[in-house]
Amino acid sequence: MTRWNANNDEVAAVSPDITDETNALPAEYFTSPDIHELEKEKIFGQYWVYAGHANAITETGAYFTRTIGDKQVIIVRDHDDEIRAFFNVCAHRGSKMVEDTPMTNPGNMGRIRCPYHMWSYDLDGDLESTPKSFEEAGLNPDLDDEEVCSLDASENGLNEVQTDRIGPFVFLNFADDPMPLAEQAGTLKTELEDMPLEEYEHAARYVSEVDCNWKTFAGNYSECDHCHANHQDWITDIELDESNLEVNDYHWILHYTHDEDVDDELRIHEEKEAKFYYFWPNFTVNMYGTADGYGTYIIDPIDEGRFQLIADYYFSSAEMTDAEQEFVQTSRQLQEEDFELVERQYEGLQSGALAQAQLGPNEHTVHKLHRLAQEAYEA
Amino acid sequence: MTSVSRTGQREDVPFVARSTETGARVEASSANEVIAFYRRQQELLDTDLEWEFADHPAVTEAPDADSIDAVLRALDDYFESGVPLGVLAAAMSKQGWTVGDTLSEVYELRMSGSLWEPRADHLRPV
Repeated sequence: MTRWNANNDEVAAVSPDITDETNALPAEYFTSPDIHELEKEKIFGQYWVYAGHANAITETGAYFTRTIGDKQVIIVRDHDDEIRAFFNVCAHRGSKMVEDTPMTNPGNMGRIRCPYHMWSYDLDGDLESTPKSFEEAGLNPDLDDEEVCSLDASENGLNEVQTDRIGPFVFLNFADDPMPLAEQAGTLKTELEDMPLEEYEHAARYVSEVDCNWKTFAGNYSECDHCHANHQDWITDIELDESNLEVNDYHWILHYTHDEDVDDELRIHEEKEAKFYYFWPNFTVNMYGTADGYGTYIIDPIDEGRFQLIADYYFSSAEMTDAEQEFVQTSRQLQEEDFELVERQYEGLQSGALAQAQLGPNEHTVHKLHRLAQEAYEA
Repeated sequence: MTSVSRTGQREDVPFVARSTETGARVEASSANEVIAFYRRQQELLDTDLEWEFADHPAVTEAPDADSIDAVLRALDDYFESGVPLGVLAAAMSKQGWTVGDTLSEVYELRMSGSLWEPRADHLRPV
Protein backbone atom coordinates (compact mmCIF):
# COMPACT_ATOMS: atom_id res chain seq x y z
CA MET A 1 0.00 0.00 0.00
CA THR A 2 1.34 3.37 -0.97
CA ARG A 3 2.18 5.56 2.01
CA TRP A 4 0.64 8.91 1.25
CA ASN A 5 0.93 11.66 3.79
CA ALA A 6 -2.76 12.44 3.29
CA ASN A 7 -3.67 9.03 4.69
CA ASN A 8 -1.56 9.68 7.76
CA ASP A 9 0.39 6.53 7.11
CA GLU A 10 3.41 6.07 9.26
CA VAL A 11 6.77 5.77 7.60
CA ALA A 12 9.29 3.17 8.65
CA ALA A 13 13.02 2.60 8.42
CA VAL A 14 14.30 1.10 5.18
CA SER A 15 13.61 -2.60 5.45
CA PRO A 16 16.54 -4.92 4.67
CA ASP A 17 14.04 -6.98 2.67
CA ILE A 18 13.42 -5.37 -0.69
CA THR A 19 10.07 -7.16 -0.96
CA ASP A 20 8.75 -5.24 2.05
CA GLU A 21 6.62 -2.14 1.46
CA THR A 22 8.97 0.08 3.43
CA ASN A 23 12.01 -0.58 1.27
CA ALA A 24 12.89 3.08 0.58
CA LEU A 25 14.01 6.10 2.57
CA PRO A 26 11.09 8.25 3.70
CA ALA A 27 10.61 11.31 1.51
CA GLU A 28 11.65 13.78 4.19
CA TYR A 29 15.21 12.42 4.00
CA PHE A 30 15.39 14.02 0.56
CA THR A 31 13.82 17.38 1.41
CA SER A 32 14.85 18.25 4.96
CA PRO A 33 17.54 20.90 5.55
CA ASP A 34 18.32 19.14 8.85
CA ILE A 35 19.15 15.93 6.99
CA HIS A 36 21.43 17.88 4.65
CA GLU A 37 23.34 19.18 7.68
CA LEU A 38 23.40 15.69 9.23
CA GLU A 39 24.86 14.22 6.03
CA LYS A 40 27.85 16.56 6.18
CA GLU A 41 28.94 14.81 9.36
CA LYS A 42 27.47 11.33 9.08
CA ILE A 43 28.18 10.66 5.41
CA PHE A 44 30.69 13.09 3.93
CA GLY A 45 32.57 13.33 7.24
CA GLN A 46 32.88 9.55 7.71
CA TYR A 47 33.34 7.76 4.38
CA TRP A 48 36.06 8.04 1.74
CA VAL A 49 35.10 10.79 -0.67
CA TYR A 50 36.65 11.36 -4.09
CA ALA A 51 38.92 14.42 -4.30
CA GLY A 52 40.30 14.34 -7.83
CA HIS A 53 42.63 12.73 -10.34
CA ALA A 54 46.33 12.27 -9.62
CA ASN A 55 47.25 13.10 -13.22
CA ALA A 56 46.16 16.68 -12.61
CA ILE A 57 49.11 17.25 -10.26
CA THR A 58 52.16 15.43 -11.58
CA GLU A 59 54.82 18.02 -10.60
CA THR A 60 56.12 18.71 -7.12
CA GLY A 61 54.10 21.55 -5.62
CA ALA A 62 51.19 21.15 -8.02
CA TYR A 63 47.88 21.44 -6.23
CA PHE A 64 44.14 21.89 -6.51
CA THR A 65 41.45 22.56 -3.94
CA ARG A 66 38.24 20.72 -3.16
CA THR A 67 35.29 21.64 -0.95
CA ILE A 68 33.35 18.80 0.67
CA GLY A 69 30.44 19.97 2.79
CA ASP A 70 31.86 22.90 4.72
CA LYS A 71 35.41 21.60 4.61
CA GLN A 72 37.92 23.17 2.24
CA VAL A 73 40.98 21.11 1.39
CA ILE A 74 44.25 21.60 -0.50
CA ILE A 75 45.44 18.51 -2.40
CA VAL A 76 49.15 18.83 -3.24
CA ARG A 77 52.03 16.69 -4.50
CA ASP A 78 54.91 16.91 -2.02
CA HIS A 79 58.69 16.64 -2.46
CA ASP A 80 58.53 12.85 -2.02
CA ASP A 81 56.07 12.56 -4.93
CA GLU A 82 53.28 11.72 -2.50
CA ILE A 83 49.86 13.31 -2.77
CA ARG A 84 48.80 14.85 0.52
CA ALA A 85 45.82 16.85 1.65
CA PHE A 86 45.47 19.59 4.24
CA PHE A 87 42.62 21.70 5.49
CA ASN A 88 42.91 25.04 3.72
CA VAL A 89 43.19 26.70 7.13
CA CYS A 90 46.21 28.40 8.67
CA ALA A 91 47.44 27.08 12.02
CA HIS A 92 47.94 30.62 13.24
CA ARG A 93 44.45 32.12 13.37
CA GLY A 94 42.40 30.00 11.03
CA SER A 95 42.53 32.03 7.85
CA LYS A 96 41.75 30.39 4.53
CA MET A 97 45.12 30.30 2.79
CA VAL A 98 44.86 29.27 -0.85
CA GLU A 99 42.35 30.58 -3.38
CA ASP A 100 39.89 28.06 -4.82
CA THR A 101 41.80 26.22 -7.55
CA PRO A 102 39.98 23.69 -9.72
CA MET A 103 41.53 20.36 -10.67
CA THR A 104 41.13 21.38 -14.30
CA ASN A 105 43.42 24.38 -13.82
CA PRO A 106 45.79 23.40 -11.01
CA GLY A 107 48.28 25.73 -9.39
CA ASN A 108 51.88 25.21 -8.33
CA MET A 109 53.61 26.42 -5.20
CA GLY A 110 56.96 25.86 -3.55
CA ARG A 111 55.39 26.21 -0.13
CA ILE A 112 51.94 26.81 1.31
CA ARG A 113 51.75 30.38 2.53
CA CYS A 114 48.97 32.13 4.40
CA PRO A 115 48.58 35.67 3.01
CA TYR A 116 47.24 37.02 6.33
CA HIS A 117 50.41 37.02 8.49
CA MET A 118 52.71 35.16 6.07
CA TRP A 119 53.07 31.91 7.98
CA SER A 120 54.62 29.41 5.55
CA TYR A 121 54.41 25.64 5.47
CA ASP A 122 56.41 22.95 3.68
CA LEU A 123 54.55 20.76 1.24
CA ASP A 124 54.48 18.10 3.97
CA GLY A 125 52.52 20.52 6.15
CA ASP A 126 55.25 21.37 8.66
CA LEU A 127 55.56 24.99 9.67
CA GLU A 128 58.50 26.35 7.72
CA SER A 129 58.73 29.96 8.79
CA THR A 130 56.97 32.83 10.46
CA PRO A 131 57.79 36.54 10.15
CA LYS A 132 60.18 38.04 12.68
CA SER A 133 57.24 39.60 14.50
CA PHE A 134 56.40 36.13 15.81
CA GLU A 135 59.92 35.63 17.23
CA GLU A 136 60.30 38.96 18.96
CA ALA A 137 57.98 40.96 21.19
CA GLY A 138 59.01 44.43 20.09
CA LEU A 139 55.46 45.83 20.19
CA ASN A 140 54.60 44.31 23.58
CA PRO A 141 56.09 46.29 26.48
CA ASP A 142 55.12 43.54 28.95
CA LEU A 143 57.18 40.83 27.26
CA ASP A 144 60.91 40.41 26.65
CA ASP A 145 62.13 38.77 23.44
CA GLU A 146 63.69 35.95 25.49
CA GLU A 147 60.25 35.04 26.84
CA VAL A 148 58.88 34.37 23.38
CA CYS A 149 58.52 30.63 22.80
CA SER A 150 59.77 29.33 19.50
CA LEU A 151 57.24 27.44 17.43
CA ASP A 152 57.93 23.76 16.84
CA ALA A 153 57.69 23.08 13.10
CA SER A 154 55.88 19.77 13.23
CA GLU A 155 53.59 20.58 16.15
CA ASN A 156 52.39 23.77 14.52
CA GLY A 157 51.92 22.38 11.07
CA LEU A 158 48.80 22.17 8.96
CA ASN A 159 45.89 19.90 9.79
CA GLU A 160 46.36 16.95 7.47
CA VAL A 161 43.45 15.06 5.94
CA GLN A 162 43.83 11.35 5.32
CA THR A 163 44.28 10.43 1.68
CA ASP A 164 44.43 7.15 -0.19
CA ARG A 165 44.12 6.13 -3.80
CA ILE A 166 42.49 3.69 -6.14
CA GLY A 167 44.76 3.89 -9.16
CA PRO A 168 44.82 7.57 -10.13
CA PHE A 169 41.69 8.40 -8.11
CA VAL A 170 42.55 10.32 -4.93
CA PHE A 171 40.17 10.00 -1.99
CA LEU A 172 39.88 11.91 1.29
CA ASN A 173 38.55 10.89 4.66
CA PHE A 174 37.81 13.27 7.55
CA ALA A 175 37.04 10.66 10.22
CA ASP A 176 39.41 10.14 13.15
CA ASP A 177 39.61 6.40 12.67
CA PRO A 178 38.08 5.49 9.34
CA MET A 179 37.79 2.07 7.82
CA PRO A 180 40.59 1.63 5.25
CA LEU A 181 39.76 2.71 1.71
CA ALA A 182 40.51 -0.82 0.57
CA GLU A 183 37.80 -2.11 2.90
CA GLN A 184 35.22 0.45 1.76
CA ALA A 185 36.07 -0.20 -1.88
CA GLY A 186 36.27 -3.99 -1.64
CA THR A 187 36.66 -5.64 -5.04
CA LEU A 188 36.19 -2.27 -6.73
CA LYS A 189 39.78 -1.36 -5.86
CA THR A 190 41.40 -4.35 -7.52
CA GLU A 191 39.02 -4.24 -10.46
CA LEU A 192 39.78 -0.59 -11.22
CA GLU A 193 43.49 -0.96 -10.53
CA ASP A 194 43.67 -3.79 -13.07
CA MET A 195 42.87 -1.22 -15.75
CA PRO A 196 45.41 1.34 -17.02
CA LEU A 197 43.34 4.30 -15.90
CA GLU A 198 46.39 6.46 -15.17
CA GLU A 199 47.36 6.32 -18.85
CA TYR A 200 44.42 8.49 -19.82
CA GLU A 201 44.34 12.28 -19.76
CA HIS A 202 41.66 14.63 -18.60
CA ALA A 203 39.90 15.96 -21.69
CA ALA A 204 36.69 17.66 -20.58
CA ARG A 205 34.71 18.68 -17.53
CA TYR A 206 31.06 19.68 -17.35
CA VAL A 207 29.54 21.03 -14.15
CA SER A 208 25.77 21.12 -13.94
CA GLU A 209 23.63 22.41 -11.09
CA VAL A 210 20.45 20.41 -10.77
CA ASP A 211 17.38 21.18 -8.68
CA CYS A 212 17.03 18.03 -6.65
CA ASN A 213 18.59 16.23 -3.72
CA TRP A 214 21.86 14.47 -4.54
CA LYS A 215 20.40 11.08 -3.53
CA THR A 216 17.59 11.54 -6.04
CA PHE A 217 20.12 11.66 -8.86
CA ALA A 218 22.20 8.89 -7.27
CA GLY A 219 19.15 6.65 -7.27
CA ASN A 220 18.38 7.48 -10.88
CA TYR A 221 21.95 6.67 -11.93
CA SER A 222 21.75 3.33 -10.12
CA GLU A 223 18.83 1.78 -11.97
CA CYS A 224 17.72 1.36 -15.54
CA ASP A 225 14.02 0.66 -15.20
CA HIS A 226 13.54 4.17 -16.54
CA CYS A 227 15.78 3.66 -19.58
CA HIS A 228 13.30 2.25 -22.10
CA ALA A 229 10.97 5.17 -21.68
CA ASN A 230 13.49 7.92 -21.29
CA HIS A 231 16.83 7.05 -22.93
CA GLN A 232 15.50 5.77 -26.20
CA ASP A 233 18.55 6.69 -28.29
CA TRP A 234 20.99 5.01 -25.90
CA ILE A 235 18.91 1.95 -25.14
CA THR A 236 18.75 0.89 -28.79
CA ASP A 237 22.28 -0.54 -28.51
CA ILE A 238 21.75 -2.26 -25.15
CA GLU A 239 20.32 -5.68 -24.38
CA LEU A 240 18.70 -4.98 -21.05
CA ASP A 241 17.44 -8.55 -20.69
CA GLU A 242 21.04 -9.75 -20.64
CA SER A 243 22.24 -7.01 -18.34
CA ASN A 244 22.41 -7.12 -14.56
CA LEU A 245 22.99 -4.91 -11.58
CA GLU A 246 25.53 -6.25 -9.09
CA VAL A 247 25.44 -5.04 -5.48
CA ASN A 248 28.40 -5.09 -3.09
CA ASP A 249 29.01 -3.66 0.38
CA TYR A 250 29.71 -0.04 -0.59
CA HIS A 251 29.55 -0.12 -4.36
CA TRP A 252 27.38 -1.48 -7.09
CA ILE A 253 28.09 -2.19 -10.72
CA LEU A 254 25.66 -1.79 -13.60
CA HIS A 255 26.54 -4.27 -16.34
CA TYR A 256 24.88 -3.26 -19.58
CA THR A 257 25.34 -5.69 -22.45
CA HIS A 258 25.74 -4.26 -25.93
CA ASP A 259 23.60 -5.89 -28.60
CA GLU A 260 26.56 -6.06 -30.97
CA ASP A 261 30.26 -6.64 -30.37
CA VAL A 262 32.28 -3.48 -30.07
CA ASP A 263 35.87 -3.24 -31.28
CA ASP A 264 38.35 -4.13 -28.56
CA GLU A 265 40.10 -0.81 -29.19
CA LEU A 266 36.98 0.92 -27.94
CA ARG A 267 37.09 -0.65 -24.50
CA ILE A 268 39.47 -0.47 -21.57
CA HIS A 269 38.00 -3.41 -19.67
CA GLU A 270 37.76 -7.03 -20.79
CA GLU A 271 34.04 -7.59 -20.77
CA LYS A 272 32.05 -6.65 -23.87
CA GLU A 273 29.67 -4.44 -21.98
CA ALA A 274 29.30 -1.02 -20.46
CA LYS A 275 30.20 -1.02 -16.75
CA PHE A 276 29.03 1.78 -14.54
CA TYR A 277 30.45 1.71 -11.02
CA TYR A 278 28.75 3.59 -8.20
CA PHE A 279 31.00 4.01 -5.15
CA TRP A 280 29.25 5.18 -2.00
CA PRO A 281 28.65 7.93 -1.20
CA ASN A 282 28.85 10.07 -4.35
CA PHE A 283 31.40 8.91 -6.93
CA THR A 284 30.95 6.96 -10.14
CA VAL A 285 33.32 5.53 -12.73
CA ASN A 286 31.77 5.15 -16.13
CA MET A 287 33.33 2.54 -18.41
CA TYR A 288 31.22 3.08 -21.48
CA GLY A 289 32.48 0.15 -23.46
CA THR A 290 32.16 2.13 -26.67
CA ALA A 291 35.03 4.57 -26.23
CA ASP A 292 38.75 4.31 -25.59
CA GLY A 293 38.35 6.33 -22.43
CA TYR A 294 36.23 6.64 -19.32
CA GLY A 295 34.28 9.13 -17.30
CA THR A 296 33.69 9.97 -13.67
CA TYR A 297 30.86 11.70 -11.87
CA ILE A 298 30.96 13.50 -8.57
CA ILE A 299 27.48 14.07 -7.17
CA ASP A 300 28.09 16.94 -4.76
CA PRO A 301 25.25 18.33 -2.67
CA ILE A 302 24.84 22.12 -2.54
CA ASP A 303 21.89 22.00 -0.17
CA GLU A 304 18.98 19.64 0.39
CA GLY A 305 17.37 20.65 -2.91
CA ARG A 306 20.33 21.14 -5.23
CA PHE A 307 23.47 19.30 -6.26
CA GLN A 308 26.35 19.74 -8.69
CA LEU A 309 27.12 16.98 -11.14
CA ILE A 310 30.82 17.22 -11.94
CA ALA A 311 31.32 15.11 -15.06
CA ASP A 312 34.93 14.46 -16.14
CA TYR A 313 36.03 12.66 -19.31
CA TYR A 314 39.39 10.96 -19.86
CA PHE A 315 40.81 9.91 -23.22
CA SER A 316 44.24 8.96 -24.55
CA SER A 317 44.88 12.61 -25.30
CA ALA A 318 43.53 15.80 -23.76
CA GLU A 319 42.68 16.89 -27.29
CA MET A 320 39.57 14.95 -28.18
CA THR A 321 39.01 13.47 -31.62
CA ASP A 322 35.78 14.22 -33.47
CA ALA A 323 34.50 10.79 -32.49
CA GLU A 324 35.30 11.42 -28.83
CA GLN A 325 33.57 14.79 -28.93
CA GLU A 326 30.54 13.11 -30.41
CA PHE A 327 30.73 10.49 -27.68
CA VAL A 328 30.80 13.19 -24.98
CA GLN A 329 27.81 14.85 -26.61
CA THR A 330 25.87 11.59 -26.35
CA SER A 331 26.85 11.31 -22.71
CA ARG A 332 25.69 14.90 -22.13
CA GLN A 333 22.38 14.02 -23.78
CA LEU A 334 21.91 11.21 -21.26
CA GLN A 335 22.72 13.59 -18.41
CA GLU A 336 20.19 16.16 -19.58
CA GLU A 337 17.53 13.47 -19.97
CA ASP A 338 18.27 12.32 -16.44
CA PHE A 339 18.25 15.88 -15.06
CA GLU A 340 14.76 16.34 -16.39
CA LEU A 341 13.63 13.11 -14.75
CA VAL A 342 15.14 13.78 -11.34
CA GLU A 343 13.89 17.36 -11.21
CA ARG A 344 10.39 16.10 -11.96
CA GLN A 345 10.71 13.47 -9.24
CA TYR A 346 11.96 16.04 -6.78
CA GLU A 347 9.10 18.43 -7.52
CA GLY A 348 6.77 15.60 -6.59
CA LEU A 349 8.68 14.75 -3.42
CA GLN A 350 8.72 18.39 -2.35
CA SER A 351 4.95 18.61 -2.59
CA GLY A 352 4.75 16.53 0.56
CA ALA A 353 2.11 14.19 -0.85
CA LEU A 354 4.20 11.05 -0.63
CA ALA A 355 5.50 9.91 2.74
CA GLN A 356 7.58 6.96 1.61
CA ALA A 357 8.32 5.63 -1.85
CA GLN A 358 8.36 1.96 -2.87
CA LEU A 359 11.17 0.34 -4.83
CA GLY A 360 10.72 -2.36 -7.42
CA PRO A 361 12.58 -5.68 -7.49
CA ASN A 362 15.11 -4.43 -10.06
CA GLU A 363 15.86 -1.31 -8.04
CA HIS A 364 18.01 -3.30 -5.60
CA THR A 365 20.90 -0.90 -6.25
CA VAL A 366 18.72 2.01 -5.13
CA HIS A 367 17.71 -0.07 -2.12
CA LYS A 368 21.41 -0.42 -1.25
CA LEU A 369 21.88 3.35 -1.60
CA HIS A 370 18.98 4.00 0.75
CA ARG A 371 20.17 1.37 3.22
CA LEU A 372 23.65 2.88 3.33
CA ALA A 373 22.21 6.33 3.91
CA GLN A 374 20.08 5.08 6.74
CA GLU A 375 22.98 3.21 8.32
CA ALA A 376 25.02 6.40 8.16
CA TYR A 377 22.28 8.49 9.80
CA GLU A 378 21.96 5.96 12.62
CA ALA A 379 25.70 5.52 13.18
CA MET B 1 11.68 36.87 -19.42
CA THR B 2 9.85 33.63 -20.02
CA SER B 3 11.92 30.52 -20.33
CA VAL B 4 11.36 26.80 -20.28
CA SER B 5 12.74 24.87 -17.37
CA ARG B 6 13.99 21.29 -17.54
CA THR B 7 10.61 20.11 -16.37
CA GLY B 8 8.95 21.76 -19.32
CA GLN B 9 7.09 24.35 -17.26
CA ARG B 10 7.23 27.91 -18.44
CA GLU B 11 8.54 30.19 -15.75
CA ASP B 12 9.53 33.80 -15.33
CA VAL B 13 13.15 34.37 -14.41
CA PRO B 14 14.56 37.88 -14.26
CA PHE B 15 18.25 36.99 -14.41
CA VAL B 16 19.93 34.59 -16.84
CA ALA B 17 23.63 34.03 -17.50
CA ARG B 18 25.68 31.42 -19.34
CA SER B 19 29.14 29.94 -18.91
CA THR B 20 31.57 31.11 -21.58
CA GLU B 21 33.31 27.73 -21.55
CA THR B 22 30.65 25.09 -21.14
CA GLY B 23 27.40 26.86 -21.93
CA ALA B 24 26.01 25.95 -18.49
CA ARG B 25 23.10 28.28 -17.89
CA VAL B 26 21.80 29.79 -14.67
CA GLU B 27 18.31 31.19 -14.33
CA ALA B 28 17.91 33.12 -11.10
CA SER B 29 15.32 35.11 -9.23
CA SER B 30 17.95 37.50 -7.87
CA ALA B 31 21.05 38.92 -9.53
CA ASN B 32 23.24 37.87 -6.60
CA GLU B 33 22.23 34.22 -7.15
CA VAL B 34 24.10 34.50 -10.44
CA ILE B 35 27.16 35.65 -8.50
CA ALA B 36 26.83 32.65 -6.17
CA PHE B 37 26.57 30.36 -9.20
CA TYR B 38 29.67 31.99 -10.72
CA ARG B 39 31.64 31.32 -7.53
CA ARG B 40 30.55 27.68 -7.35
CA GLN B 41 31.56 27.22 -10.99
CA GLN B 42 34.91 28.89 -10.32
CA GLU B 43 35.69 26.33 -7.63
CA LEU B 44 35.44 23.58 -10.21
CA LEU B 45 36.19 25.12 -13.59
CA ASP B 46 38.22 27.92 -15.03
CA THR B 47 35.18 29.55 -16.56
CA ASP B 48 33.42 32.91 -16.72
CA LEU B 49 29.78 33.93 -17.11
CA GLU B 50 28.17 36.13 -19.72
CA TRP B 51 24.80 37.71 -19.04
CA GLU B 52 21.98 36.71 -21.34
CA PHE B 53 19.24 38.66 -19.68
CA ALA B 54 18.61 40.91 -16.67
CA ASP B 55 15.09 42.19 -16.13
CA HIS B 56 15.54 44.98 -13.59
CA PRO B 57 14.75 48.67 -14.06
CA ALA B 58 18.09 49.70 -12.61
CA VAL B 59 19.90 47.66 -15.25
CA THR B 60 17.70 49.01 -18.01
CA GLU B 61 18.34 52.58 -16.92
CA ALA B 62 22.05 52.16 -16.18
CA PRO B 63 24.25 54.50 -18.23
CA ASP B 64 26.30 53.15 -21.12
CA ALA B 65 29.56 53.87 -19.35
CA ASP B 66 32.72 51.77 -19.36
CA SER B 67 33.33 52.67 -15.73
CA ILE B 68 32.25 50.81 -12.61
CA ASP B 69 32.31 54.06 -10.67
CA ALA B 70 29.94 55.87 -13.04
CA VAL B 71 27.53 52.95 -13.26
CA LEU B 72 27.57 52.34 -9.52
CA ARG B 73 26.76 56.00 -8.81
CA ALA B 74 23.80 55.82 -11.18
CA LEU B 75 22.52 52.56 -9.68
CA ASP B 76 22.94 53.80 -6.13
CA ASP B 77 19.71 55.81 -6.40
CA TYR B 78 17.72 52.60 -6.77
CA PHE B 79 18.94 50.85 -3.63
CA GLU B 80 18.90 52.14 -0.05
CA SER B 81 21.39 49.72 1.42
CA GLY B 82 23.80 49.07 -1.39
CA VAL B 83 23.68 47.95 -5.01
CA PRO B 84 23.59 44.16 -5.30
CA LEU B 85 26.83 43.01 -6.86
CA GLY B 86 24.88 40.98 -9.41
CA VAL B 87 22.88 44.02 -10.54
CA LEU B 88 26.10 45.96 -11.04
CA ALA B 89 27.57 43.04 -13.01
CA ALA B 90 24.43 42.84 -15.16
CA ALA B 91 24.62 46.58 -15.84
CA MET B 92 28.28 46.32 -16.81
CA SER B 93 27.40 43.57 -19.29
CA LYS B 94 25.95 46.33 -21.49
CA GLN B 95 29.61 47.21 -22.12
CA GLY B 96 30.47 43.57 -22.82
CA TRP B 97 31.86 42.86 -19.38
CA THR B 98 31.62 39.29 -18.07
CA VAL B 99 30.79 38.53 -14.45
CA GLY B 100 34.47 37.80 -13.89
CA ASP B 101 35.49 41.14 -15.40
CA THR B 102 33.19 43.01 -13.03
CA LEU B 103 34.18 41.06 -9.92
CA SER B 104 37.87 41.54 -10.67
CA GLU B 105 37.49 45.30 -11.13
CA VAL B 106 35.27 45.61 -8.05
CA TYR B 107 37.95 43.89 -6.00
CA GLU B 108 40.60 46.32 -7.22
CA LEU B 109 38.37 49.31 -6.47
CA ARG B 110 37.51 48.00 -2.99
CA MET B 111 41.17 47.44 -2.21
CA SER B 112 41.94 51.01 -3.27
CA GLY B 113 39.11 52.46 -1.18
CA SER B 114 37.19 53.68 -4.22
CA LEU B 115 33.99 51.93 -3.26
CA TRP B 116 32.70 50.24 -0.14
CA GLU B 117 30.68 47.19 0.77
CA PRO B 118 28.14 48.05 3.52
CA ARG B 119 27.08 44.38 3.61
CA ALA B 120 28.19 41.27 1.79
CA ASP B 121 27.88 41.54 -1.99
CA HIS B 122 26.26 44.99 -1.86
CA LEU B 123 28.20 48.07 -2.96
CA ARG B 124 28.04 51.81 -2.57
CA PRO B 125 30.20 54.57 -4.05
CA VAL B 126 32.54 56.45 -1.71
